[in-house]
Amino acid sequence: MSKLPLGKRLKIRSMVHMAAEPIPNFWPMRTFIHHNPLHGLEHLPFEQAVRQGEKLFHARGFLPRADYQRYNKEGRVDQNSIKRDIADFVSKQETLNGLDLASLLSDLMCSVKNKVTRTRALADHNDVFQALHGKQLENAETFDLKALTQRLCAQFSPERPLYEAIDLLFGTQMGTTLDELVIKSCLDFFDEGQSTIQMPGRHQGLFAAWTALAKRNLRLFLRGMHIKQILDQDDTPEGIIAYILDELGIEETHWDGLITRELTRLHGWAGFIRWRSSSKHYYWAEQYPGDLIDFLAIRLVLGLALIREHSRQKRTPMTAKVLQEYIEGHTAECYLRQAYYGGCILPAFAHDVDDALSHKKPQKINTILPGYLRQQRQFEATRQADALRDLASKAGQTDALMAMDAPQIKQLMTLIEAFENEEGMIWLRAMESVYRREIINQIQLHAPHKKDKRPFAQALFCIDVRSEPIRRNLETVGEYQTYGIAGFFGVPVSYIGLGKGSEVNLCPVVITPKNLVLEVPVGATSIETDFYSSASHVLHEMKSSILSPYFTVEAAGLLFGFDMIGKTIAPRRYTKIRNHIEPKAQATRLLVDKLTREQADSIVRSLQRTMIVRAIHQEFGIEREAVTDAMIRELREAAMDNHHEQTEFARRFALSPTAETQFIAGLKKDYKINRSFVSMQMERLARIGFSLDEQVFYVEKALKSIGLAENFSRFVLLTGHGSTSDNNPYESALDCGACGGSHGSVSARVLAHMANKPEVRRRLSEQGINIPDDTWFVSVMHNTTTDQLILQDLDLLPNSHLVYLERLRNGLRAATRLTAAERLPALEDHPSPNIDTVKAQKRIERNASDWTQVRPEWGLARNASVVAGGRHLTEGANLNGRTFLQSYDYRLDPKGRHLENILSNPLIIGQWINLEHYFSAVDNEHFGSGSKAYHNVAGRFGVVTGNLSDLRTGLPAQSVLKDGRPYHEPIRLLAIVEAPAAFTLEVAGRLPKVMSLITNGWITVVVVDPETGDRLFYDRGEWYNLNDDPQYSPSVKPLLEEELSA
Amino acid sequence: MSFFLMLLAGFFLPLFPLSMVFNALLARTKNPIVRVLLIFIWPQIGVFLLAWAGLPLDSGFFVGWAVLTAIFYAWRLLTVRVLSQWGGMLATSAWALAWIIAADLPANSELHSFALWMSVAPALLIFIATALQERFGAAYSGLVVGLARALPRLSSVIVVVVLAAMALPVFPSFFAMLVLLAHASTFFALPILLTWLLWSWAGTRLLNGFVFGPRAETEAADLSSTTTWGFIGLIVAIVVINLIWTGA
Repeated sequence: MSKLPLGKRLKIRSMVHMAAEPIPNFWPMRTFIHHNPLHGLEHLPFEQAVRQGEKLFHARGFLPRADYQRYNKEGRVDQNSIKRDIADFVSKQETLNGLDLASLLSDLMCSVKNKVTRTRALADHNDVFQALHGKQLENAETFDLKALTQRLCAQFSPERPLYEAIDLLFGTQMGTTLDELVIKSCLDFFDEGQSTIQMPGRHQGLFAAWTALAKRNLRLFLRGMHIKQILDQDDTPEGIIAYILDELGIEETHWDGLITRELTRLHGWAGFIRWRSSSKHYYWAEQYPGDLIDFLAIRLVLGLALIREHSRQKRTPMTAKVLQEYIEGHTAECYLRQAYYGGCILPAFAHDVDDALSHKKPQKINTILPGYLRQQRQFEATRQADALRDLASKAGQTDALMAMDAPQIKQLMTLIEAFENEEGMIWLRAMESVYRREIINQIQLHAPHKKDKRPFAQALFCIDVRSEPIRRNLETVGEYQTYGIAGFFGVPVSYIGLGKGSEVNLCPVVITPKNLVLEVPVGATSIETDFYSSASHVLHEMKSSILSPYFTVEAAGLLFGFDMIGKTIAPRRYTKIRNHIEPKAQATRLLVDKLTREQADSIVRSLQRTMIVRAIHQEFGIEREAVTDAMIRELREAAMDNHHEQTEFARRFALSPTAETQFIAGLKKDYKINRSFVSMQMERLARIGFSLDEQVFYVEKALKSIGLAENFSRFVLLTGHGSTSDNNPYESALDCGACGGSHGSVSARVLAHMANKPEVRRRLSEQGINIPDDTWFVSVMHNTTTDQLILQDLDLLPNSHLVYLERLRNGLRAATRLTAAERLPALEDHPSPNIDTVKAQKRIERNASDWTQVRPEWGLARNASVVAGGRHLTEGANLNGRTFLQSYDYRLDPKGRHLENILSNPLIIGQWINLEHYFSAVDNEHFGSGSKAYHNVAGRFGVVTGNLSDLRTGLPAQSVLKDGRPYHEPIRLLAIVEAPAAFTLEVAGRLPKVMSLITNGWITVVVVDPETGDRLFYDRGEWYNLNDDPQYSPSVKPLLEEELSA
Repeated sequence: MSFFLMLLAGFFLPLFPLSMVFNALLARTKNPIVRVLLIFIWPQIGVFLLAWAGLPLDSGFFVGWAVLTAIFYAWRLLTVRVLSQWGGMLATSAWALAWIIAADLPANSELHSFALWMSVAPALLIFIATALQERFGAAYSGLVVGLARALPRLSSVIVVVVLAAMALPVFPSFFAMLVLLAHASTFFALPILLTWLLWSWAGTRLLNGFVFGPRAETEAADLSSTTTWGFIGLIVAIVVINLIWTGA
């Protein structure tokens, strides 16, 4: 029982939940979900959220200046935008005599490599002024010990974890040790089948299971960490948290700040646990529950044990109060300690300070300090003065700088500091301006002209940026019309694949599907397992057990050697050979149609009969031929409490009444033949498939949302996409985001099934969508790594279409090759010029099977915009695979429902993808996951760097960087919507989340109004008509402003 | 007389605590050229003194003392963070091992060459320390980490020199260690190998303290390509000369 009152426990729970708000969820890698790392801060304006995110995650929210300068040289930065923003900034500042601020700041951005504002702990503006004029500092020998104490006390505030403060003052490594211990505990508990030996007691939950083990952990005990003493104080994690924070002497007002810091220290793990604890249907979470309160309690227990151990052994402070007293009593020592162990000591003093501290010579420390402070002040002043001089010299304003007095120098430094804080945003806006101009210039505003001829095929592709090149190439090779639609085709499906035991949601993560689709084999299932599968299974078992790997290497190492050589030297050919040997995938169908009550009932009865036959055989050894259907039916009725007399089965086999009762009780309990279980089964079966109404609804929605309601071609290709690569934990990051990080082919098959159904078509024709009888919806799989387009379920194709199949295949193959040739140069370091399309395709295919390939494809890198409108807007334009293309025709959407859907789903997904790439590119170490080369799969749900690290969230360096520089151009997503402006804003106004993202600047928006020809751009609360570009002026549109302010 | 000479040699082929004289002298000397000269000349004086005392040595006491000194200084390398001091202690540890050869050899030529080749890496470390000091104010391990990406040329040179200090193959100290092991009894072979292991461990720590880690935020300039090529040329020349000398 907890000693803590319920109210206090609830308060701690809510504190932890609130503290975790800024930490983004982390989904298991199997279904990688692109997300905004600052999702928890989206309620704030972009710039403000970035600053807060930088503090929380110790990260960088914008690129270093040098990278922006490189973009500037490449012409990727709009000089006018920079000038405008600098002028805007300068207009808010007081003037400085003799200085041309605009020119100075412009040179600061474009010519100075490093930040001009330097860290200054001791030197003030007077010192900088003196240094600027080459004079000795005034009062160089004096220092204020009291001010030093205050500064130190502020630096070690109670919201800073105590072990962190001790590490910084005493050079201990408690923080690192603590992280490692917590990570090990998490790896043990959250393991999803990777470990050979599982942690015991996981069903009890994270804290309880960990507690049971930790109390008996001899290794920790021998090390001096008395965990049991701490855990004996309370049984609940909340009680333990309260006890520890009290023990550390942290006042309750600082708890929330401290908890946030504790959780963000391992934000990958915290994000995973946060997501997991809120995913009620996640199998592993159901089996082994654990939440952030457990996580925090474990962290605090280990932290306190470490602090106590160090206190005993090294006499370091044990509470926040003792630490504060220590700082006040040993200010000189603490100042030098934090400088030395914090890595910011003046190098010339490092050895002496180290010597004095390690030999504990207070006299020497007191002697060193004045000299050190003097040197530090001088160093800071000189460094700052040099930076100012360098800037002024580059701007040609040295004389003006030297003519300034000390107060003016202070004003200048304050101004430069403020500017450098805003600089990242100015670069970002200037880069976005260039891209915006490029794409807007490519947009064709003329109305679509109706084509008289029926296209040979219409292809619906996912809005994914990788669809853009293949759509463009497909359109060039023949009479193909293409459309863009979210890769789940608007049909949220929960899917159980053949031989899989769990459901996968094939839709954006913001949607929870209601309908379940099952994959079932066509024809009989083979009972005997083939040799290859058996051998693979045996090898896998031998690899993963405890002892067998020792002799497996000796016995079967050569086999792995062949595998290794094949995969390394000739991956493409080797994969082909393996594919010949490996058993072929079974032909399957999807159960898409809803079962009637009778059908479901019949399935349940059939299952129950099978179970009864098995039970009779197991309990009495009676074979099936000895019992009749009537007997089985009667036994079933008895188990279901519909029959209360002696059964024919009991009479026939002379069972005593007790034996019969026992047998029927067994049927109820062990074989689950009872009313409640049947009710549950019926409920589950009711989820399978879609009713006719639902099917009609989804097909109509899919077609109308993209503006395809007439002139259907013979083939309508529903193209889902996915990727294939070898040895790549991030494979699912390359799959379809709209399908929850899975392949999109199932969604395509589901919609094709629905749209080919005559009954659905009949109902659709009543609603004005006439799909001709000779139109056939074919599901296609677009492999984004190889750009292959593979037709699926061809056995269902009507005979009338078979003659056109070869033409279709040829067209798709041509598009594949053209796209491969287009993509190849970006994937190879030294691509051969004029390589033919066939060779290009082979080279691209190699990437998919090469296990050494860290970058099988660029994925969604360089994504920059989403266009919601007709294909005519961008037809023929090469958008370089940077644009999400969502087909939309506002004329078919009078109530704006489809646009509402587009803005609240594809746009949000696009924004998540875009910001995931943005932050992974600007700071790959903190927001991304670093280099793939050091990654190891952890627990089958994530990756860590090396053998122990925080769970790496975000994208690996190889996905966004090339040669250490950003390949992904980090800019915010530009949404271009083709619809009347008033209509668009009226629809957006219904969606508070979307409006918040727009007004807070997480996405930028251009509305292309086909009726007026205006191209309206929203920027910081104002609308501008880009037709007036480059000096765009505010558009006089009171209506739009009203909409937005609403 | 012989004991006195050997004791005197203990200053030059340093035996702890007589070794403190050399290390103090090296610490006080600021000019890198003088430091390098000191490193090359100092042990040769010791060899002369030993030869004067009479080779092969018949004092197991001095050899045991030397082995303990070598291990002690190798152990100290793990905690020393000032690069020039590190180089000095490495030299002290390495030179002390010359006593083992002295106990097994009638002639002093091989002893001279052992002392010479064992002085190469410490001397090169002095140059590296100077280059670091010019850029950062001190050559202090752990203060500016992650130089690999910030100053790749200087980092490459640091790596090569530290590998030489660890007596890895191709470098002269590696062959010198092989010669040493050939002359050592089984009883002394183990402490020699332990010393070698400690050098490697300390060298790895040194690399961690300068080269590896997240990119250093520094404005310091990298080595010029001329200096880098000059340095590489020097190292290659040393390696080649050593290979010719040893007949490898």
